[in-house]
Amino acid sequence: MNVTIENAVKDYGSSRVLDIEKLEFKEGIHVILGSNGSGKSTLINCIAGLNNLSHGNISYDGKNLDNFSRNLISILVQKPYLFNKTAYENIISGLKYQKINKEEINLRVEKYMHYFEVNALLNKKSHWLSGGERAKIALLRTAVLETKITILDEPTASMDIESSIKAEELIKQLAIGGRTVIIVTHDVYQAKRIADYVIFMDKGKIIEMGNKEYVLNNPNNKLVKQILNI
Amino acid sequence: MFEFIKEFLTTYNDILPVIALSLKVSLTSLFIASVLGLTLGIVVALNEFKLKKALMRVTNTLMSLPPVLIGLLVYMLLSRKGPFGSFGLLFSPAAMIISQSLLVFPIIFGLTVSSISETAKDIELTCISLGANRKDTYITIISECRMQLFSVITAGFGRAISEVGAVMMVGGNIKGKTRVMTTYIALETGKGNFNEAVAIGIVLLFISFLVNSILYRMQRRE
Repeated sequence: MNVTIENAVKDYGSSRVLDIEKLEFKEGIHVILGSNGSGKSTLINCIAGLNNLSHGNISYDGKNLDNFSRNLISILVQKPYLFNKTAYENIISGLKYQKINKEEINLRVEKYMHYFEVNALLNKKSHWLSGGERAKIALLRTAVLETKITILDEPTASMDIESSIKAEELIKQLAIGGRTVIIVTHDVYQAKRIADYVIFMDKGKIIEMGNKEYVLNNPNNKLVKQILNI
Repeated sequence: MFEFIKEFLTTYNDILPVIALSLKVSLTSLFIASVLGLTLGIVVALNEFKLKKALMRVTNTLMSLPPVLIGLLVYMLLSRKGPFGSFGLLFSPAAMIISQSLLVFPIIFGLTVSSISETAKDIELTCISLGANRKDTYITIISECRMQLFSVITAGFGRAISEVGAVMMVGGNIKGKTRVMTTYIALETGKGNFNEAVAIGIVLLFISFLVNSILYRMQRRE
């Protein structure tokens, strides 16, 4: 599924937090990098339909967001809320909302659960989980939905290195089969490891975008060069 | 314990209908105020609109409204010359339920908005991100915030069961018809019958203790 953003502007009062002329997401893994307050989260929230643009347009395979396309997008927000239920019930909550049958639920859970060793956590109530464990459960909850577009806002921020690497393997799995994955991160090395395309943002604008090799090896923008130590 | 209760009820045998009516009036008005207050409270907590701050300011004012004022308003509305006089509701339990519902509603509504606003928005975002429809989202919010909402309902019940001014005005404290625990205490104290007043006061305290114990047990179980 292609997502096309044109003349997108988001204002909060008098401050402009997003100003994008044109941006396109095709199938593959897109990593968005940028400093705090550069508009990354605002952009992905607008793509997911959690926030509205002040002006401009976002189209999904040429169409506007409707109830049908809404179900083709899933997002893991920066501070995900875990329901006051067990870890397992949290993982399958999205599938239950979408009225997926029990056999399919079991298949999906099995397919993704092996990325993290969470068997011992499944019957634990969410408030007994540590920050890292919560992040794994939240990522699994989004992953099992297997939507055409998966958006992840700093999915590995509270994970240890080992878990982050496993999470990256899971994220690669999510992009298989012509699906689109959009990830926001501060970790340039993570972008190097998993991205197909890289986008750099600053003050609400796109300052560099393109194929990973091109952007990370030959950036034109001064700030991007500084970040990459080139 | 049972012997004490038996002895108590034999001594004060006219108290039982008073307790029953108190609970009937308070629980019915609590139910009405809760259905309206929780529903509107969740909707207002989730949405931002122009007059939200003004609405909450008015609600906060109404939360501390003197019951006698509500009593006066309902009295005027239901009295024979009032707009609803033809229904003949004045000095009936129905009039008491109406005035208590009006008293409890702002408390349930206001406390719902303030206690769940932040969490409810997080839950709503999560539900939308997982593909939940509006109905599922609301059910999830109620389920996730059940402890806060139960505390809100308990506060509303406290207001209803302890209220005296409004029910005295619109109910008239008629023996066997509109006499409730609080108006009974007021009457017996006025007559100098402190034993009866204290006895019913203990029952009121016991009911309050029972409700709070249930809440505490539910919180512990969570």
